Amino acid sequence: MGFGDYPAEYKPQVHGPYDPARYYGKPDTPLGQVKLGELGSWFGRRNYSPRAMTAATSRAFWRWNHKYILPKKSNMAGTLHVLFGLSLFFYVINYPRISTHRIMRYH
Amino acid sequence: MLSRFVMQHALTKQSPMIVLARGAALLPTSDKHPERDLVNFPRPKRLIDPEPVRHTCIPERWFEFFYPRLGVTGPYTFTFGLITYLLSKEIWVVEHDFGYVMASVIIVGLGHKLFGKQLANYLDKEIAAEEEQDDAARNDKLASLKGAIENELWNQERSKAQAVLYEAKRENIQMQLEAVFRERALFAYQQVKNRLEYQAALESIQRRISQKHMVSWVVSHVLKSITPDQDKQSIKKCISDLKALAARA
Repeated sequence: MGFGDYPAEYKPQVHGPYDPARYYGKPDTPLGQVKLGELGSWFGRRNYSPRAMTAATSRAFWRWNHKYILPKKSNMAGTLHVLFGLSLFFYVINYPRISTHRIMRYH
Repeated sequence: MLSRFVMQHALTKQSPMIVLARGAALLPTSDKHPERDLVNFPRPKRLIDPEPVRHTCIPERWFEFFYPRLGVTGPYTFTFGLITYLLSKEIWVVEHDFGYVMASVIIVGLGHKLFGKQLANYLDKEIAAEEEQDDAARNDKLASLKGAIENELWNQERSKAQAVLYEAKRENIQMQLEAVFRERALFAYQQVKNRLEYQAALESIQRRISQKHMVSWVVSHVLKSITPDQDKQSIKKCISDLKALAARA
C-alpha cells in the first residue's frame, strides 16, 4: 500500500464505490458507547501508527465535508467552522505569547 | 462476403444490451456484483440539506447529546459555565485581540440575520441553474446513447431481413438465367430452322433446275429426231385436218 492507494481492507466488489469518509476495517465499539472500565482496553486496541492517524484525520475531514460543505443546499455552518476553527488553532499556537497578557496575579 | 457473413452471425448471436449488462456486472464497483454487500455498504448519496445546526453553526447533535443529561438548557449552561470558568481562571486571556471575537460574532450574526435569506435564495437559484445545465448535458448524452442503442437494434432487425433479401436476389438471378436460357434456346431453334429451310429450298431449286434441264434435253432430242419428211407429212396432215374442220364448221 503506497501513497494514494485505497486502504487494504477496501474491496470494490464488496463495498462498492469508495467512500473516503468510511472506515472499511472491522468496526470496534463506538467511543460514546464504551463503558468507563473498558476505556483502557479500548484505547489499547487503537492503532497509533502515523499512517492510521492520518487516515483517521482524513476520514474525519471527509465526514465533515459530506455533512456541511458538499450538500446541495449547504449553509454558512461549514465556512464558520473553518473560520472559528482557524481562530482557535491560531489562538492555541500563539498561546505562549497570549498567556503573558494575564492581568490577575493571585488565583 | 465472408466478413459480412461473420458480422451477421456476430450480431445475431449477442445483442448489445446483453454485452452492456455483462460489462456493467464485471465492473468491480457494480451493484450487480455477486459479492456486493448492499445492506452494510449502501451506495453513498449526496445530501440535499446539510446536517442540522443551531445558531448558524453549532451542530444539533451536540444539543441532543446534552438533552438527556442536562435538559433543554443544558448545553447553554455548560457553554456559559465553561466560558465563565475559562475567563475567570484567565485560561482564555482577555488581551487586546479579545474584542475581535465579539466583533466577529456580532458581524456574522447580523449578516446572517439581514442578508442570510437573500444570499441563500440567490445561491440556491445559481445552484439550480448549474444543476439544470449539468443535467441537460447528461440527459442529452443519455438520449443520444439510447438513440444509438435503438438504431443498433433496428439495424439488427434489418440485418435479419437480409436473409430474405438474399433469397429474393437469388430468385431474381435464377429468373434472369432462365430468361437468357430460353432466349438462347429460341435463337438456336430459329438458326436450325433457317438452315433446314435453306437446305430444303436448295434441294427444291436443284430439283427444278434438273427437271427443267431434263425437259429441254428431251424436247431438243425429240426435235432433232423429227425428219423433214415427217415434218411435211405432219403439216399435210394438219392442213387436211384443218380442212376437215373448216368443212364441218
